[in-house]
Amino acid sequence: MPVISGTDNRLTPDAVQAVTFPSARIGRRGLDEEHVRAFCGQVERELVRLFNERTSLTDEVQRLRRRVLGLSGDDGESGYRQDDAHVQAVRILSKAQQTADRYVADAQEYSRQLAQDARRRRDEILAEAKSHAALVLDDAHGEASRAAEVALAAPVGLPGTDRREVEAELAYLRTFSDIYRTHLRAYLDVLLRNVEEWERAEKTSLAAARASLPLPPHIPQPPPVTG
Amino acid sequence: MDTARLKESFARVAMHGDEVALFFFSDLFLRYPESRDLFPVSMAAQRDYLLQALARIVALIGDADQLTAYLQALGRAHRKYGTVPDHYEPVGSSLIATLAHFSGDGWTPELAADWHAAYGLVAQVMTDAAAEDARTNPPFWEATVLSHEMRTFDTAVFRVVTLDTLSYLPGQSVAVECDLRPRIWRRYSIANAPRDDATLEFHVRVIEGGALSMALVRGLSPGSRLRLGPPAGSLTLDTGSGRDVLLVGSSTGLAPLKAIAGQIADLASPPRAHLFAGAQQAEALYDLPGLEKLGARSPWLTITPCVSADPGYQGERGMLPDVVARSGAWADHDAYLAGPTLMVKAMTARLTSLGVPAAQIHVEDFGWSEPCP
Repeated sequence: MPVISGTDNRLTPDAVQAVTFPSARIGRRGLDEEHVRAFCGQVERELVRLFNERTSLTDEVQRLRRRVLGLSGDDGESGYRQDDAHVQAVRILSKAQQTADRYVADAQEYSRQLAQDARRRRDEILAEAKSHAALVLDDAHGEASRAAEVALAAPVGLPGTDRREVEAELAYLRTFSDIYRTHLRAYLDVLLRNVEEWERAEKTSLAAARASLPLPPHIPQPPPVTG
Repeated sequence: MDTARLKESFARVAMHGDEVALFFFSDLFLRYPESRDLFPVSMAAQRDYLLQALARIVALIGDADQLTAYLQALGRAHRKYGTVPDHYEPVGSSLIATLAHFSGDGWTPELAADWHAAYGLVAQVMTDAAAEDARTNPPFWEATVLSHEMRTFDTAVFRVVTLDTLSYLPGQSVAVECDLRPRIWRRYSIANAPRDDATLEFHVRVIEGGALSMALVRGLSPGSRLRLGPPAGSLTLDTGSGRDVLLVGSSTGLAPLKAIAGQIADLASPPRAHLFAGAQQAEALYDLPGLEKLGARSPWLTITPCVSADPGYQGERGMLPDVVARSGAWADHDAYLAGPTLMVKAMTARLTSLGVPAAQIHVEDFGWSEPCP
């Protein structure tokens, strides 16, 4: 439940953070939840900022009022200053913490995007490979079937249909494996080229990295120990 | 103590949202710099936890039983972070200073006295519960990784052994921390019923942008050290119901269900059980050999792997709720559901519409979201 101040029903940062939106029914168009969340986050931060500006203004008014009324004697004034310094320190540390938080959040968001992109790319590559594999099989099957038909139709002077069917199956298998092997060889060639490129790139980058390293310092040898 | 005044005072302070927690932690770290080491680098999540805990405590004022139970759990849970009784006083003074700061003119000596008294009670209940817990349990369990296996490109299964015995119920989870991500704790379900050799199995999937999962999936190897918090969670087998069992998990939601299945296997007369393991793609079914082994030695168990977004998959295809709904009548079953939020929600709704009473539906929501498989 959002925390709302007792008397006046005002919108608070907590209430904005706690608000939930029912998801759209399946088949209905709905808003992108991430966008809605991001916007609520922005509204929440803005509300917090306004509340805090108001608080510091109230503090300032108090301080000025006390000064005008001359309520702060010497002792009170120095005690007040000490408090003031502590609050200032708290504010500075809070700012630093918020900066650190933002860096961590940015890094996490960056890693999330990278991982998402990588996953998407991976899915694409897999889908492509799958459809390529299906094509190769189709191709091999088509060619082999044609070879088998040719074998069946061939006016070979051999007795019996059994023999013919065996010949046809043989022709099918031979052609299928031929075509499959050709595709496999082409595929392995591509893989091999990739590996070579990879090795070349690694060697170049290693050489470059070594070249940029400082020379090892000259290490003086200890004098030979005698006696 | 004027509880109405406390509640009203807190509501006023809570108007400032995150700034309240920000002020509190900065004040604490300035007064007691050594306390900073107990917290992670990013404090954003910590501030949320603090504000949620404070809101909960204030909301429960007046309900002594629930408040005590909540504070006791909170006191025990803090042991693993290295919290000791001496920490409560500095926290109290920073809390009072924060409340005073944000109350402005509304801060009166009476209000201050009320808050002091209230915090004193809170700290007492928490430290008492922690001390009581310390009589039987270590603050956390040291564990060593025995084996670590990448099952898919983003899912790993690893086994650990704990130094002290960790007593838990099958289906429960523990908070996990590792040296690669100090002071970041995340809950993971234990994937096996307690074994004689005190080994525990975990299934972890990389959460994109997650704080800990990447380290557990990619960074662990045999010999890595982990720390485990006390077991918790209510996804535990109702052994006395006499009803048959329905287990539905998607992704690593399979883990607690395997633990429960392991427990059923050891019962004198096991109920019939049907386990559905869902994934979007066939290759994401990361534990098929394990499931086959389980199925082979469990005649009382039916296992149905199913895949939602892979038209080429030969087995059961479809969204988990649909597959489960068309596979049987479940109204007289105890249902145990585990996995991403959307899946457990959709599954709970479907089972309810199929006439499964709410009391028979047990859920472990993993808290991350992905489309329901």
